[in-house]
Amino acid sequence: MEFALFLGCTIPMKLPFMEKAFRDVANILDVKLKEMEGVSCCPEPVAMQSLNIDTWVALGARNLAIAEKMGLDIMTICSGCYETLKTVSVLLEEDEEYLKKINGILSKINYKYTGKTKVYHFVELFSQPDWLDKIKKLIVKPLDDLNLAVHYGCHLIRPSKIMQFDHPEKPEKIDLILEALSAKTIEYATKLECCGYCARLQEEIGENLVEEKMTELCELEEGVDALIAVCPACTTQYDRKERIIARRTGKELNIPVLYLAEVMALALGVELEDLSLRNRSVKPDKLIDKLTT
Amino acid sequence: MTQMLKKNASELDHEFRYEISEKVGAKSLLKCIQCGVCSSGCTVTEYVDLQPHRVVASCLLGLKDEVLTSNAIWTCSLCHRCTERCPKNVDYSFILALLRNMAVKEGKVPKEYSSTVVTIFHNGFVVPYTGGLKDNIDRRRGRMGLPQIIPPKLEEIQYIIEETGLGGLVKEEEDEK
Repeated sequence: MEFALFLGCTIPMKLPFMEKAFRDVANILDVKLKEMEGVSCCPEPVAMQSLNIDTWVALGARNLAIAEKMGLDIMTICSGCYETLKTVSVLLEEDEEYLKKINGILSKINYKYTGKTKVYHFVELFSQPDWLDKIKKLIVKPLDDLNLAVHYGCHLIRPSKIMQFDHPEKPEKIDLILEALSAKTIEYATKLECCGYCARLQEEIGENLVEEKMTELCELEEGVDALIAVCPACTTQYDRKERIIARRTGKELNIPVLYLAEVMALALGVELEDLSLRNRSVKPDKLIDKLTT
Repeated sequence: MTQMLKKNASELDHEFRYEISEKVGAKSLLKCIQCGVCSSGCTVTEYVDLQPHRVVASCLLGLKDEVLTSNAIWTCSLCHRCTERCPKNVDYSFILALLRNMAVKEGKVPKEYSSTVVTIFHNGFVVPYTGGLKDNIDRRRGRMGLPQIIPPKLEEIQYIIEETGLGGLVKEEEDEK
């Protein structure tokens, strides 16, 4: 199975350890990845869509056209890229006139998009039953003792009429992957709450949302070893704001935030020293202890 | 927020609702029954001057200026729960994006948003990728054994941004610097 790998900006440039973990996982699971030459920002769904929908769609269509020329579907590793590219592909598939208009723009720089590129997020692939079986067979280090809380984030699952990814209010695909790795996933009240990163005009919105979720996770009797996310914005939002809030409120907030591919890599036998799990504000020391003893 | 707004019918923009609803995907605006489900599930409902159902009501009433200058349209985090839950399938988060596009055309755009297109215009990416910053990124990737980033031809990205109508915004931002 082969995909055109769409990396986006934030992960390869600011958080390359996430990309490394994903490439390791793909390699172990025998998913072939082809590099995409000359792709731009997806572009970022919140600001670019807000400024001008046509700019957003045309830049996205240019990226889709590059994959189409490679004859491959796209694999994304960021929820933002996934939302943009999937939405653009669906909009252009449903609206022939719009596709014509966008191609009119692209033709002047010698690109053409005919609507053939499908867009995936790795969760979508790995949560399919046959892939879950494959993952189970390849486990080297089962995550038996770990209690993990999943954060889905907004852009992976909604709007469901476009994303068609999972249940928009009761998603389970990330949980299924973690359970296949033998970890225990925890249900909690604020599971579906937004991280607030994209509410960028008022800092307090994000801080309140992070405080609410992290406070709940810290109070759970099971003892949460980590919050697992798949979006670079959500991951950094929780990791950075958690420390800031702990200092300001005096609350003891100490839940480490990990990217799904990192724990997948661990379970599939990638060595701890080849990952960068401690590259965080809140270090996952307890989790590392559990896995090494 | 609590200030009473008084307007005569002649001062309302009766075409505003159709300006929105004529766009593909936004026709649903006209179906709103003001049930308030969008506002009850809204991530930012306690931080906005107009809650989602009131933004919709204001659009339907023709309060164009009030809507386009409200903090509500830029405070939204685009979590899409409103769109997901609406019993009449009003696609509020998409309508909100359209309202933001309209506000941009009138020159009402917060820096937190306009800076994104400027960064993409000069880098092709939303993260600065030139000069010393690029060298640092490349070095770090090299150490991890990750392949080199092959960036887009900037003139292609700049052409698309200008052709779709955001060239002026980029220029304005630059002139201010």
